[in-house]
Amino acid sequence: MMELDDLKNSWEEATKQINIPVKMIDRATHAQYKSNLKKIVYPEIIGSIICFLGAVYIGCRFNELGNGFVKGIGILAIGVLVVLPILSFISLLQFNSIGDVNKPYAETLKDFAIQKIRFHTFMKINSTLCYLLLVSLIIVCSKFFGEKDIYENTYFWILSFSGGYIFLLFYSKWVAKYYKNTLQQTEDLLKELES
Amino acid sequence: MKFNMDKNETFIKAIKSNERLIYKMASIYTDSIDDRNDLVQEIIYNLWKSFDSFHQKSSMSTWMYRVAMNVAIYYLKTAKRKVLTVPMDGQYLNFQETENNNFEEKLQIFKQHVDNLNLLDKGIVMLYLENKSYQEIAEIVGISESNVGTKIARIKEKLKKQITKQL
Repeated sequence: MMELDDLKNSWEEATKQINIPVKMIDRATHAQYKSNLKKIVYPEIIGSIICFLGAVYIGCRFNELGNGFVKGIGILAIGVLVVLPILSFISLLQFNSIGDVNKPYAETLKDFAIQKIRFHTFMKINSTLCYLLLVSLIIVCSKFFGEKDIYENTYFWILSFSGGYIFLLFYSKWVAKYYKNTLQQTEDLLKELES
Repeated sequence: MKFNMDKNETFIKAIKSNERLIYKMASIYTDSIDDRNDLVQEIIYNLWKSFDSFHQKSSMSTWMYRVAMNVAIYYLKTAKRKVLTVPMDGQYLNFQETENNNFEEKLQIFKQHVDNLNLLDKGIVMLYLENKSYQEIAEIVGISESNVGTKIARIKEKLKKQITKQL
């Protein structure tokens, strides 16, 4: 096993033959080159369009929602359908933005770590909003398409709230476990950069 | 037109005289040859885009290291979100001539050592192995010279412990 200083010579020796073809440099300097770093993520765009269409649909049939309670649920559904794609786009913009590549490396790492922590918070908010959307859409759709109002059924509330709570509990535990190491490393790196 | 030609030539010359550093940086931050070639291309593209903003406040290689390392971080960030990699038609980068077994073998040994380090330490080690002075490392990374010294001593210690553990 080598130590750091032994690696120096070995690394130097191994990289002597490297040669970047001029053709390749030339290609990167042409205007038509498309950077992969700015790639637009189509699933997010399609998802957002569906959300907005859903909000417009509920808005158009809003008067059919009947009493004040269901109308309130309708407003909640429209709100979530608008907020979700906006949050998604903000998160996407932050992820896809290429900052100033001339700035010091440590600053880029710091921005990167902050964005990662923000993304984790966004995931938590997102899952809660998705659950709220699911419950409100069931009520709104039962009013639009069902013969009976589902919200008048006690079992619906028992199942949706207890089931939803259990789902959120397990989901947040899974997310926390999944991101535990990465988040810990990110927070440690941030502390190191700020010290 | 002539200005553009001159700029292009100057840029190509600058890249050619620093090609090893670009390729090495891309090798450290990626795990496959395809990703490495993609990253080399991204680094060159970003160097070209900010070529006008290089005002020789620092040396050409210092500026290039900085851009290469920053682009690598952005690349890592987006690579995790990549659903599908679209091959660049007719522009596939051919590095077969340079990618000899020796390089790949040494790269793996090097990665074995540095992959457990965080991104800050990884960057510092990389520059240290490139024979950069503490002052240059401080300038590229954006931390104080004394901090660089402390960090290198800690990294050496970390690597030693890692090696002892493996044994």
